[in-house]
Amino acid sequence: MNPLIFSRRAFLGKAANGLGHVALASLLAKLANGGQPDESNMATFRSIAPRAKRVIYLFQSGGPSHVDLFDGKPSLAKLHGTNLPDSVRGDQRVTGMTSGQASFPVVQPIAAGRRCGPAGAWISDLLPHTQNMAGDICVIRSMHTEAINHDPAITLINTGSMQLGHASAGAWVSYGLGTENANLPAYMVLISQGTGKNPDQPIFSRLWGSGFLPSQHQGVILRAGADPVLYLDNPSGVSREQRRAQLDDLARLNQRFAEDVGDAETLARIHAYELAFRMQTSVPDLTDLSNEPAATFELYGPESRKPGTYAANCLLARRLAERGVRFIQLFHRGWDQHIAITKQLPNQCRDTDQPSAALIADLKRRGMLDETLVIWGGEFGRTVFSQGALGSPVAGRDHHGRCFSIWMAGGGVAGGQAVGETDDFCWNITRDPFHIRDLNATLLHQLGIDHQRLTYPYRGLDQKLTGVEPAKVMTQVLG
Amino acid sequence: MWVLLALPAGAAEPLAFNRDIRPVLSKTCFTCHGPDAAAVKAELRLDLRERALKGGVSGRPAIVPGDPAASEVVRHLTSKDPEQVMPPPAAHLNFTAEEAATLTQWIKEGASYEGHWAFQAPVKAALPAGTAATANPIDPFIAARLKTARLDFAPEADGRTLIRRLSLDLTGLPPSPEEIHAYLEDRSPQAYETLVDRLLASPRLGEHFASSWLDAARYADTNGYSIDGGRQQWLWRDWVIKSFNDNQPYDQFLTEQLAGDLLPNASEQQLVATGFGRNHAITHEGGTLAEENLVNYVDDRVKTTSETFLGLTLACAQCHDHKYDPFTQRDYYRFFAFFNTLGDAGHGGDGGVNAVPSIQAGSCLATPAEAASVRHELESLREALAAPIPDAQAKWESAQRADLAQRGRELVLTPLEVITATCPNGDPERIKVLPDHSVTIGGGDFAAYNVLTRLPAAGAPIRGIRIVFSPTPQANGMLGYGGAAELKGNFHLGSLTASVSSYPAGNVDLNAILPIVRLSASGTQAGFDARNVLNTDPLVGWAPPTGSTTPQHLTATFAAPLQAGASPYLTVELLFNYGQNTSPASFRIFAFSGCDDGSPHPAAVTEMLTADPASRSAEQAVGLRAYFHQVAAEKAWLRSQIANLEERLAMLTQKHPVLVMNTAASPRVTHILNRGLYSSPLEAVAPGTPGVLPPLSNDPAFDPATGSFRERPANRLDLARWLTRPDHPLTSRVAVNRLWEHFFGRGLAASSADLGSQGQWPSHPELLDWLAVDFRESGWDRKRLMRLIVTSRTYRQTSDTRAELLARDPHNEWLARGPRFRLTAEQIRDQALAVSGLLAERLGGPSVRPYQPGDLWRQVSHYGSSPATSQTFVQDHGEKLYRRSLYTYWKRTLPPPGLSVFDAPNREICSIGRLPTNTPLQALVTLNDPQFVEAARALGLGLLQSACGGDRERISAGFERVTARLPVAAELATLVAQLARERLAYQAQPGAARDLLAIGEMAQSTAFPLAEQAAWTQLAATLLNLSEVITRR
Repeated sequence: MNPLIFSRRAFLGKAANGLGHVALASLLAKLANGGQPDESNMATFRSIAPRAKRVIYLFQSGGPSHVDLFDGKPSLAKLHGTNLPDSVRGDQRVTGMTSGQASFPVVQPIAAGRRCGPAGAWISDLLPHTQNMAGDICVIRSMHTEAINHDPAITLINTGSMQLGHASAGAWVSYGLGTENANLPAYMVLISQGTGKNPDQPIFSRLWGSGFLPSQHQGVILRAGADPVLYLDNPSGVSREQRRAQLDDLARLNQRFAEDVGDAETLARIHAYELAFRMQTSVPDLTDLSNEPAATFELYGPESRKPGTYAANCLLARRLAERGVRFIQLFHRGWDQHIAITKQLPNQCRDTDQPSAALIADLKRRGMLDETLVIWGGEFGRTVFSQGALGSPVAGRDHHGRCFSIWMAGGGVAGGQAVGETDDFCWNITRDPFHIRDLNATLLHQLGIDHQRLTYPYRGLDQKLTGVEPAKVMTQVLG
Repeated sequence: MWVLLALPAGAAEPLAFNRDIRPVLSKTCFTCHGPDAAAVKAELRLDLRERALKGGVSGRPAIVPGDPAASEVVRHLTSKDPEQVMPPPAAHLNFTAEEAATLTQWIKEGASYEGHWAFQAPVKAALPAGTAATANPIDPFIAARLKTARLDFAPEADGRTLIRRLSLDLTGLPPSPEEIHAYLEDRSPQAYETLVDRLLASPRLGEHFASSWLDAARYADTNGYSIDGGRQQWLWRDWVIKSFNDNQPYDQFLTEQLAGDLLPNASEQQLVATGFGRNHAITHEGGTLAEENLVNYVDDRVKTTSETFLGLTLACAQCHDHKYDPFTQRDYYRFFAFFNTLGDAGHGGDGGVNAVPSIQAGSCLATPAEAASVRHELESLREALAAPIPDAQAKWESAQRADLAQRGRELVLTPLEVITATCPNGDPERIKVLPDHSVTIGGGDFAAYNVLTRLPAAGAPIRGIRIVFSPTPQANGMLGYGGAAELKGNFHLGSLTASVSSYPAGNVDLNAILPIVRLSASGTQAGFDARNVLNTDPLVGWAPPTGSTTPQHLTATFAAPLQAGASPYLTVELLFNYGQNTSPASFRIFAFSGCDDGSPHPAAVTEMLTADPASRSAEQAVGLRAYFHQVAAEKAWLRSQIANLEERLAMLTQKHPVLVMNTAASPRVTHILNRGLYSSPLEAVAPGTPGVLPPLSNDPAFDPATGSFRERPANRLDLARWLTRPDHPLTSRVAVNRLWEHFFGRGLAASSADLGSQGQWPSHPELLDWLAVDFRESGWDRKRLMRLIVTSRTYRQTSDTRAELLARDPHNEWLARGPRFRLTAEQIRDQALAVSGLLAERLGGPSVRPYQPGDLWRQVSHYGSSPATSQTFVQDHGEKLYRRSLYTYWKRTLPPPGLSVFDAPNREICSIGRLPTNTPLQALVTLNDPQFVEAARALGLGLLQSACGGDRERISAGFERVTARLPVAAELATLVAQLARERLAYQAQPGAARDLLAIGEMAQSTAFPLAEQAAWTQLAATLLNLSEVITRR
């Protein structure tokens, strides 16, 4: 029996003195519920028919090079080695790392690519598995951001604002939709480090934080190895049976207290302890890959057997999706190729290509792709010009926010297309520009949420994930 | 009763603009018809009566006082035409028919406006006549409100509840059983007041009140943003604690933090106080632009100052005029100008060195008495460290002899094939793999080199690796490039990490680090021992003897041998992050099977260990014993405690760095920034305060137009004087409201960080104003106000709740019962330490790093890529594990997980008030975090050791310790049964008892059977997890 209901009934029996049981029960539920919007509020923002039940966000931290991976074009081969004209470069700020360069030579993609899928989207040969998946994904080549450095850029794309203190997209979704599986958090985060660059730009809890939302909505990190959720395991020397009996004692004592003094918080706490107990089995069940057939590991690649890798995290993402976790976010570091891009980028691609494509295939064959929105992308793109001398083995590319590429799949996205175009220099967008706000509006829209109505009052404003400036749903991307 | 609830508050009285109308207009209309000049639609403003009566472009009056039918506003609000209706449906505003009726009624009553209440100077109203029947001025205000709801005060809480409530509220800690009994036995009519006075005088008070101030002031021990390296700022925290303990008047508290440096003859501590304005995040991310960063820092000072002292969301006017309050963008940048005069820099804080300006200062909490006592304690600890433990030493010596006897047995060294060798930044070509598989390095600094090797496919199991460092001509025949005297021509290996993988992994796998159990070196520079490479602090590492011109090596033995062929690749990370260019010239990695031929000890020790003990000279014996005491596990606690106290002595007697504010020789000029962008400056502005509030100064020498006095521009000290002027409408209200929130869990104005027009109308406006005036008149006396609140009948009510009352007043706005809320994150941990007797009650000092699982920091940090400190977590030991939580090292990008889960903010920005949540992850912390398990061990042991009779008495004593009350029969029965059950379980499983009792660094007791200790640990864990225990009621 659900202990919350059980204890609530006991509380009502003792304390309800003439008040309607139903009225009081709903009041208690509301008081104990704390950080979740109430039902009437929910109805206002859940006003769209949902196309997806959940999101898997494969975040590529550091700024993957759109020039090399998704936006290659014949013009770049022709322009290779020529200086990026001032007329194109315009007044674009560059970071402190290249602002002192005397010239800005265009560099063509470091590897060949080919046109893939029904729409002929160009995808680098560094991503052969993604190429084969082109029929299922929609490449968006016209994302843009105003940030040009990591901290503001990664904060903007994950929380909708460059300023500190805002809530992450996952926290918003947890707040808006809650969880489908009470035995797991609604928002889970998995972290991996690429082999391209070590260590790459740091990442931090702000990116999956709850900001001004109640803290229960912050992403919970699923770690590799023992104690996959912090403090999950009982202390050594305490068995599960002992813990069960201990929690029963605690519930008995807590319930007595709640009834005695009329405390809804304590009723909710009894329930929370029960959920914690269930998490102790649901999490290990989630992370135990021993029952996965060999074919699974073949699909995701050999690294998927190794905890903590991007491949293993992709496989876990599928298992989290199966269990109804609402927002699953992978953070994969290593995409900040300022130097030695010809050495580093192939490694980054090898880490991520097969597992990302495998996840799509795996979701598809299980019939879950339609209800799962998958997003692959980073915080910005990289400059078409060389950081460092042209052709030097140590040369790389600097940050570029005026355009960058991501891909999306499933959850109502029309696969097999490429949306948006940039100019001959991969520098400016020439068709269908999309801001990060548009991506966030789309993400919420696919989950059935009106991004203008999912608000939270904080410091005098009704805060939104998409902020105060206009945001539009990316209809071109949707089926 | 439900009918009563549905009516708007005070429906019987005439409507009041500020209470009933402004909130509706603000929410519904001001976005387009309010203070933001650029956003005004149809030229209509409804925030000003004159403009509303005049109307907008239509030329028709929006409001005709007394005549709703003629008022355009009413026509639009009630229109059925989607083109006409206001607010427009697209705005998605939740505007109700009831609100429309209220507005109509207000127009009918004459549409009188009032200035926003919080912008009018508070007035001390006469105390309401009534039935409060106490002398405390708070109670009549509360009683008057209760009377309108036909309610009365709840009875006073019982003595046990009161002392626990009061102790937790004033000191953050629960009362001890002795304190409870003393209070209950005090029959004097002044017993409660005596208790209040005792607690108000406790030094623990400053620590408790400092916690929420640290949230508001965004105090942290790291710089924030992405790299988040360490800083030294704890002196400022010490200052805050002392300010509360000394009951420094609030106006001085405010003035010294905003402008201590500008006070005449500013003292060192007044400079320290200005750290408030430097607690903001600071970046040294390479590509960021200094000008942009500086604007961010000043924006943060404006936001923090306005939310903390003014209770205003001034930050909303950063990019455009405020949407709801009468603040223009110009007001914002005039306020900004006060804080734009510092001599700070856009980048700073790398390498653990404070960003400028930073000074060296002493701690205001240092006392000669404590220094003397610490010296004394150190003396006895050193004696204890030197005390022989012959049995343990003999055992250790024989183990070492056995180990040394194995040296070199079947040792086979196999050079490893290097596949790649990389460095994270700088010139990647500075690291090269030569054909003989040696790796050369061309100088440089601050890098973790990752070397990927192929392991031999066959042969004996691999026991470990040896790294041989060789001189090169490029390094002038030396082993490294070190430039400083001690390590000149040398290198410094800060840490060594290795992992194996089934595929060629370019980087070491932090999830599968191979444990290293033995380290030896061919030679060691004094102070740079080989075993230091296991410490991830980049400054603690191994160096061979400086001056070496021949190869030197380090050998690491793994905990478990690697079976040949099991895993084909080995990746090794070598960190050289000491600074001073202490990179090596060349190295080569070998795998070895068999036993290392080196000794983990210094040569002299090795010699003594291997020689016949009988031949040892007395001097040698002393030397060997001293060495043993430096490595013996039995002495670990003493060594940590000596190190802790040495640091404490330095805190008490030396100066330390702290970030402060100053004024630049030629301060930056402040411009209005278009849309808040640093790169879009508009006109220049002088310092000034918002026009709707009192003038900055009444001095005839002050010209409000230029924001200057005759001789000089206005500065932060003028701002502080303005904030504390007697007619300031906000400062005192904000302070009083937040102090009220501390005791009642909710401010009299519930939105304690926003008293602007979007804020909530106070539940008891006259009381708030009365207290605000009284507070100022008392000389801003904070402890007097605390005393006033806690001695009120209102505060002393029981918090027990009847269902009926809960339904009528779910959030306890009327205060017909006492307040009840969950303890804060800090209190929950501190209480566990206090009731278990583990708490180390030291006041102030540098932050500490208690238990944390694994190295959460390294997984996401910039470790090995920059000189930034605090990129890896190195746990402290000894008393530093048991300090109060406000001293826990605060890393902004990964705040202490056990505190975060209980709603502590990350301290990246000013944060006022915490939203308490109730989640399963909280249960996991208090049930399983070693800090809490250890506290349960200590509490259980304490109960076992106590003099009281049997199980029942001991359980009762434990229950009283955590709840301040005695258990009732049913509770006792549950706990007695639990103890019996656990006892049986551990008697049957001695191994489990041993495991449980090994958690935490507290020494184990030998006085009681293990099963008994384990059973009591479980009982104590149940006590610590009672909902009542983490609730203050």
